[in-house]
Amino acid sequence: MEQQPIVELKGLSKTIGKKKIIDNLNLQLFPGQITGFLGPNGAGKTTTIRMMAGLMKPSSGEVIVEGQTLTDHFEETMSKVGVIVENPEMYKYMSGWKNLLHFARMNKSITKERITEVVDQVGMQNRIHEKVSSYSLGMRQRLGLAQALLHRPKFLILDEPTNGLDPAGIREFRTYLRKIAVEDGVSVFVSSHLLTEIELMCDRIAIIQNGQLIDIREMNQKEEAHYYIEAQPVEQTRELLVGLGLTVAESGHGFIVKVEQDQIPAIIQSMVTANLQIFAVQPFRKTLEDQFLEMTGGGQIAESHKK
Amino acid sequence: MLNLIRNEWMKLWHKKATWIMVALLLFILIGIGGIMKFVQSTLDQPENQPSWEENEAENKAFLTAELANPNIDDTTKKQLEKELAISEYRIEKDLEPMDPSGREQSILDSHFMLSLVVLLSVIAAAGIVASEFSQGTIKMLLSRPVKRWKILTSKYLTTLLFALMLTMISFVASLIAGYLFYDPSGGAILDYRNGAVVEVSYWGRVLALYALQFVGIIVYLTFAFMIGSVFRSSSLAIGLSIFLLFVGPSIVLFLSKYEFVKYILFTHTDLTGYISGNTFVPGLTWPLSLVVLTIYMLLFLVISFWSFTKRDVTA
Repeated sequence: MEQQPIVELKGLSKTIGKKKIIDNLNLQLFPGQITGFLGPNGAGKTTTIRMMAGLMKPSSGEVIVEGQTLTDHFEETMSKVGVIVENPEMYKYMSGWKNLLHFARMNKSITKERITEVVDQVGMQNRIHEKVSSYSLGMRQRLGLAQALLHRPKFLILDEPTNGLDPAGIREFRTYLRKIAVEDGVSVFVSSHLLTEIELMCDRIAIIQNGQLIDIREMNQKEEAHYYIEAQPVEQTRELLVGLGLTVAESGHGFIVKVEQDQIPAIIQSMVTANLQIFAVQPFRKTLEDQFLEMTGGGQIAESHKK
Repeated sequence: MLNLIRNEWMKLWHKKATWIMVALLLFILIGIGGIMKFVQSTLDQPENQPSWEENEAENKAFLTAELANPNIDDTTKKQLEKELAISEYRIEKDLEPMDPSGREQSILDSHFMLSLVVLLSVIAAAGIVASEFSQGTIKMLLSRPVKRWKILTSKYLTTLLFALMLTMISFVASLIAGYLFYDPSGGAILDYRNGAVVEVSYWGRVLALYALQFVGIIVYLTFAFMIGSVFRSSSLAIGLSIFLLFVGPSIVLFLSKYEFVKYILFTHTDLTGYISGNTFVPGLTWPLSLVVLTIYMLLFLVISFWSFTKRDVTA
């Protein structure tokens, strides 16, 4: 995929006081691609996103949107960006429609028809003229998405977007994101704590820890195959597997074995021959959660520097 | 920019507090007119009130006697001479003064009620930036393709517009109260200008007083606007501005012995003194007031804009 990136973070750093919160972040985001942004609490996700949304100024480095830097061409670049930062806080004392009108006026040439269109897209047409204070969290999320889409952005930044949506809403949201990514070539950048969510939604994930990007990986990357094998007696099973030259790791009552699929019949054959009682032989896939925890070294929160 | 101001205007009027403020303003202005009228009507009118001619003659005699006093200083002397000239002119040309309980005087005095407008504009100015932070909407507002200084300018202009509107509402309400509760009395306003006594146009005087009060409103409003945008807290901004509104005159009084009192903001917030002839501190001049006010206003605005455009949004 040798495309021009829509958004590029170049050496992005943020120092608050003496603390380096974001340290030399480099990342490219491509059209049509949904990139997940993961990291433990306090790793610098929100700070990064705020710098990309123009709410914070980087201490050094640049956010570049289609070749223009955010700091020097604020209005041009921001008109290509749609943002939902954390919970979309709206003007509660106004109707959803007035809120959208408000944000539409801050862009050039958004027609009333366009607002109606977006309202229909997020399925809010029945309640749009009610005050936002009467909306549920899920409806506010939809309104939040609507305001981010008004100006047909080429790049969408979402911070914890599915917070407060019900399962049906989450699924709908996912499908919708996929749709605008594929059909309109929008590049989407999603941060979330919900790893399973990210796993289902994203093409690519970027992992941040202590302000540094520690990994970027494609989700459809072919992973090394692992199988879970459980058989009795345990000791004989282990000897047999090790004897076959396999790397074995104990897990519960059985073993995780690093092995390619085409070797499996032969292994079962030899286990049968050895008179082992086989209980389970199944493909084992590390969840994103496992991988994530492995990479970030467990759940400890990075040294606190928020607020 | 027009769209941004429309946005701010829309947000302002969607807050219940704004409507309550306007209703309160109308209620107080018209209500006070009614109460004053009621109080006046309960007072016994003495039977043989002296005519205005007798009063004026007495006043003239008093002023002449005072002037004869050899111990008076120069400023007092000038003031007395001025008053004497006006008094003589009034008697000579047979120009009746305004009845203090008449319609004209009540409308003329209504500019004092603009301190209510100061209060309400300060509340609006304090909240217009701070509330975006407290509601969390600032993140939505600033992640738009609009530079921050434009957003802040639209907010400042909106508060000015709001203050102007409240001022006009008070003017109209005072007119209504004046016509509802008071009888016309006629009378002429005299002033002393460039060594001669002149008759002043009544409506011109009313408008001048309102305009000068409006300058004071803008000063306090700008101060509240600055505190609101720097500290991002509307309660602090409202509290501090109102505190200064009440304490300001006392500070000036307290420091009036010193020369530097001339450079304090509060010495210049009430410009109506130039019309009534009672300035807080002797020796104030128009150019000085204008320069001092301009410098303070610029300072407030520079601080507001600097703080709003440079600082990160972390809320």
